[in-house]
Amino acid sequence: MAGISRRSMLQGMAAGAGALAAGPLLGTGSAFAAREKELNILCWEGYNSAQVLDPFREKTGATVKAESLTNDPTMINRLRAGETNTWDLINVNNPWARKVMLPEKLIKPLPKAEFEPFFAQMLPEFKWPYKWAMSEDGADLLGMVQRFGPYSFVVNTDKVSRKTAEETGWDLFNDPALAGKYGILESDDWNVFNIFIVAGIDPFKVHTPDELAKFEETAKRVFKGAKLIGDIASMNQALISGEIDLHLTGGTYSVSPARADGHPNLRAITPLKGPLAGGKGGISWIEVTSTVNNPNLSPLALEFLKYVQAPEVAHTVAFAEGTFNPVAQMGNKACFDLFTKEELDAIQWDSLEEEMARSVEYDIVPDYDKALDIMNAAKRLRG
Amino acid sequence: MADIALARAPETARQVRQARMLSVGARCALPVAVLLGIGFLAPMVAILAYSFATPRSFDVFRSFTLENFASIFDPTNTVWLSFAWSVGFALFTVAILAVIAYPIAYGLNAVFGRWAGFISVLFVFPLFVSENVRLYGWVLFFIKNGVLDGTLKWLGLPGGPEVLYTPGVTLFGMAYTYLPFMLFPMTLGLALVPRDLVDAARDLGAGRLFIWREIELPLAMPGILIGMLLTFVLAIGATAEAKILGGQSIIVISHDIEIAFTYSQNWPLGSALAVVVSVFIAALTLTALSKLDLDRMLGRR
Repeated sequence: MAGISRRSMLQGMAAGAGALAAGPLLGTGSAFAAREKELNILCWEGYNSAQVLDPFREKTGATVKAESLTNDPTMINRLRAGETNTWDLINVNNPWARKVMLPEKLIKPLPKAEFEPFFAQMLPEFKWPYKWAMSEDGADLLGMVQRFGPYSFVVNTDKVSRKTAEETGWDLFNDPALAGKYGILESDDWNVFNIFIVAGIDPFKVHTPDELAKFEETAKRVFKGAKLIGDIASMNQALISGEIDLHLTGGTYSVSPARADGHPNLRAITPLKGPLAGGKGGISWIEVTSTVNNPNLSPLALEFLKYVQAPEVAHTVAFAEGTFNPVAQMGNKACFDLFTKEELDAIQWDSLEEEMARSVEYDIVPDYDKALDIMNAAKRLRG
Repeated sequence: MADIALARAPETARQVRQARMLSVGARCALPVAVLLGIGFLAPMVAILAYSFATPRSFDVFRSFTLENFASIFDPTNTVWLSFAWSVGFALFTVAILAVIAYPIAYGLNAVFGRWAGFISVLFVFPLFVSENVRLYGWVLFFIKNGVLDGTLKWLGLPGGPEVLYTPGVTLFGMAYTYLPFMLFPMTLGLALVPRDLVDAARDLGAGRLFIWREIELPLAMPGILIGMLLTFVLAIGATAEAKILGGQSIIVISHDIEIAFTYSQNWPLGSALAVVVSVFIAALTLTALSKLDLDRMLGRR
């Protein structure tokens, strides 16, 4: 203590304050210098799980941070708000990369030669050049595909048979007898699609005032008739307990955890027909993971995209915590063989191909903002 | 002020330096002021700035419009429904908790004796568990074939009432969640009632009801009012109860704000809503606090 004078104390404090003030600048410097050991991923839940990330951390010795969000527009707006400097990878549904993020320079293309061979190992529908992985002109590879699935609605087949659900389709939600017996998953972008479909209208086009009026009437009625609106856990719990018989918006992604928990009577349904393009009855999603247009992109971004293609890792991604899904890499026998019979059953492998064939792919609703405002107002009238 | 400053004009360089420096108190308060500035004021300023930005944009500090507020106060906008429900729920929560918490607070002060500490802990303990976890616990209790319904059926009875996913159960959840926030200020308020005064009133022939009305209640009022205010402010911003227990049978105002920031990606509208709610709560709080004698509450016994 004797060595510390008031002067040296003050000098020390000044130095400390200086370091604090310079901290952000030093941080920037080091970020530019040493991103070899750092990777930041913005993704849907699953990719942020320890099962997926820990082996990669061990392999590379890198600090990997992943933040999961549960809707695409929020993630994309994070990049728009200037976070392209932060993130290295973004994992969102199929249309955003080629229709929005590339034109807005939020992402950058992948080296084609390095990644094209992986597509040969995927399920047939993802063979090179896979539409949603490519730019509109087909010149650039914008991302890698992995998880996918049909996403329409879920029923308890003890109450509504699979046959009835597939044949009646979206009209189930127009049936006054089922009012109070269904829930609605809190996934508002999908609910906009589905309210349009229940109203008999294709969501993926510009809508006329008459169509929007029909949408409004349907939204009010369908939301009023819902027993509850909630997250995936609430929907599955309500189905299992018997509070509801079916719920709007849902599919393999949402019901697979309940099926894996011993409730095979809960089933994702893709209607046989509907008002979608080509008379199709459902909508499917395919995740595309792209490299962010980060001026100082971590070299680990490409490394990670290759890492998740490996059969064992792809299987882990498919069964990461929270939600279980098929993956494009199941086209590789080495990957497919890792799936047990129970796991295949949880993801409804038996009907996956036909359900995907009956679905159009997730797309952007041109007048989404208008429709969402109408739907939010309709929700308020529930009380 | 100028005259005084001139009269005390410093003469030496040291005095000049001292005069320019902040007072000791202000310097000591600087770290707290900086922390509050960054942690409290900065987000508020950001929200306020966003509320004047172009709708559905991120043009904060670069655009100025009153459109967001105009759309909130537009008569065709139904967002007032959410606001009305939130205020209604908050008022009912306060009323229910005032009735429930008063006897417990009285008990903690005058009846439970050496058990009072232990009983207080029992009321505090749930606060250590996440609110969402506790609410999901209540869902399991009330759900069809859940704890209540299942037990009643097992006993050969017709089963439990269907209360889940209703506004009523939302109110129940709010009363449950905010009980400690009403109870402890109220207990403190009642602790400030001098025993001697009550005894003296009784000796002079006052009845139990008279003592309660004329002595206990007025003297405990600061604590009761602070409990009510705290509960009201917290309850008006509650979302989890309406979402988890209520199954979104009601969309409350904080949920509307959340929707604006997430699915709608309309940060300016969400911010404008947040500003309107904050101004409402601030006005209410300041009015109430101006009528409270905090010195009596916190100092004199």
